[in-house]
Amino acid sequence: MILLRSIRQPRLRAFSTNVDPAAYCEDFVRKHDYDSFLIGKFWSGPLQQPYFAIKAFSTELAMIQDSVSNATIGAMRIQFWRDAVRDIFAASSLNPGSFPPRHPIALALHQATKAADLPAYYFKRIVDARDTELRSGTYQSSEGLVAHAESVASSVLYLLLALRGLGGSDTFAHAASHLGTAQTIATLVRGLPHHAANRQLPLPLDISARHGVKQEEVFRHGGDASGIDGAVYDVAVLANDHLLTARDMFKEELGGKVPALAMPVFLAGVPVTSFLERLEKCNFDAFNKSLALRDWRVSWRIYRAAYHRTF
Amino acid sequence: MPVIPPRLVVPVGLLRTLAQPQPRPLITISRRLQSTHAHSRSTNTPNYLESADGLISDLTLRKHRKELTPRKFDADGNEVDPYKGGPSAIDKAVHIFFFTEIIRGMWIVLEQYFRPPYTIMYPFEKGPLSPRFRGEHALRRYPSGEERCIACKLCEAICPAQAITIESEARLDGSRRTTKYDIDMTKCIYCGFCQEACPVDAIVETQNQEFSTETREELLYNKEKLLANGDRAEAEIAANLRSDHVYR
Repeated sequence: MILLRSIRQPRLRAFSTNVDPAAYCEDFVRKHDYDSFLIGKFWSGPLQQPYFAIKAFSTELAMIQDSVSNATIGAMRIQFWRDAVRDIFAASSLNPGSFPPRHPIALALHQATKAADLPAYYFKRIVDARDTELRSGTYQSSEGLVAHAESVASSVLYLLLALRGLGGSDTFAHAASHLGTAQTIATLVRGLPHHAANRQLPLPLDISARHGVKQEEVFRHGGDASGIDGAVYDVAVLANDHLLTARDMFKEELGGKVPALAMPVFLAGVPVTSFLERLEKCNFDAFNKSLALRDWRVSWRIYRAAYHRTF
Repeated sequence: MPVIPPRLVVPVGLLRTLAQPQPRPLITISRRLQSTHAHSRSTNTPNYLESADGLISDLTLRKHRKELTPRKFDADGNEVDPYKGGPSAIDKAVHIFFFTEIIRGMWIVLEQYFRPPYTIMYPFEKGPLSPRFRGEHALRRYPSGEERCIACKLCEAICPAQAITIESEARLDGSRRTTKYDIDMTKCIYCGFCQEACPVDAIVETQNQEFSTETREELLYNKEKLLANGDRAEAEIAANLRSDHVYR
């Protein structure tokens, strides 16, 4: 018996080194948000690590509601991030008693706040918007969806603009707000099969009602449900409108070309364009199997967009 | 004399003599095909046996024929039941169905005899488990070997059975680490809330379900035991945690 005990005795790893937050964030984004990982290759130099930190932060918060089974647990995790944001910014302002939590993403963000002047407001806004989304999960109107999109995705783009030192520019901020909206709506349509499998229908209620979409029918029959094609079409048109508006910003004032300094931020529009085109190709059937696949052309398109400085 | 085609199989004269004492026709015509009214019995069936040329259309022979039981009468003219004293319909059905039931049962046994057995040799062979199976707990590390747990105590707070006890202290570099991370496995209800609440994916429930012990004290897990569980099953845990793509 004594011999058996000694065999069963757990063996611990003898030593450990500190985890590299930047590498963790990059790997995290590569696993869960591949398009952003590809765009990250155009953030050369010292800004790449902060880029991945911000992207990993937004991805981590977006994933909370997928990994929890009830809203209370989700609220606890969101509260953890709210405290983390508070501690990150408290720690950066010469406060020796305050440390960010030892979460790799929080550590990476802490380094990012030291490298660039990032407004804490946008981090808080992302956290609050995710909190609201976790509690309700549906949007009463397309305006509500657009407001949510602006808090979630446009805030990330504002942060990235601030990272580039362009936080003060109205034109860029305006374009980023529309681009972020298009981005969120496109991901929402892209995630429809996933949400429907979890018995959620995050389409705005006014659009669903206009097309007579019945939730239960969508959960059971997916793309064969009546009216879902029309509703997806309307939502996709909304996304496309915002994308066109974002492009127009540059057409009016900058001759259609995005300035080289801001280009990496607006590369986020390329995967959105690519997805909307694919959606159009399969006749706005959001449940089409081909949409679940990763688009292999998107890396080439991102490269071409960066070269031509358009999105 | 009319020419009798070779396909006519029924000798007309014989049938005629047989059919004479009975007024009803030998061939009963299917009601669905003949009657125009839904519930009317066809009363005036054409008598093919006495047709003008003495021929019978061979189609009539192909029709479904059903013998009606002849009604029997005794000398006084009262109807008698020909089945009186015999087995009832239920008795006959019981015999037929139970007999075939035995045959069918034997056939299934025969089939199974030639199939590979369903039994798995449990300790050596194991059945499939869902990647979301919630078994024994483990604490994970980063690939560099650093503990993931940051002592945020969310798992302790959410645990409905209050099975988790954490004590922590701050290190010199400002990070908080647990000095004590105990799970009472006799209290745990395996709800998986600790895993869901963990912001760093440190505490997980592995797929191991074979951790029975001889004494109760061995089920009071401490941090070393949990970390050892994590080290042992890290590859498996990481594969199971591969979560859905972010689509928001």
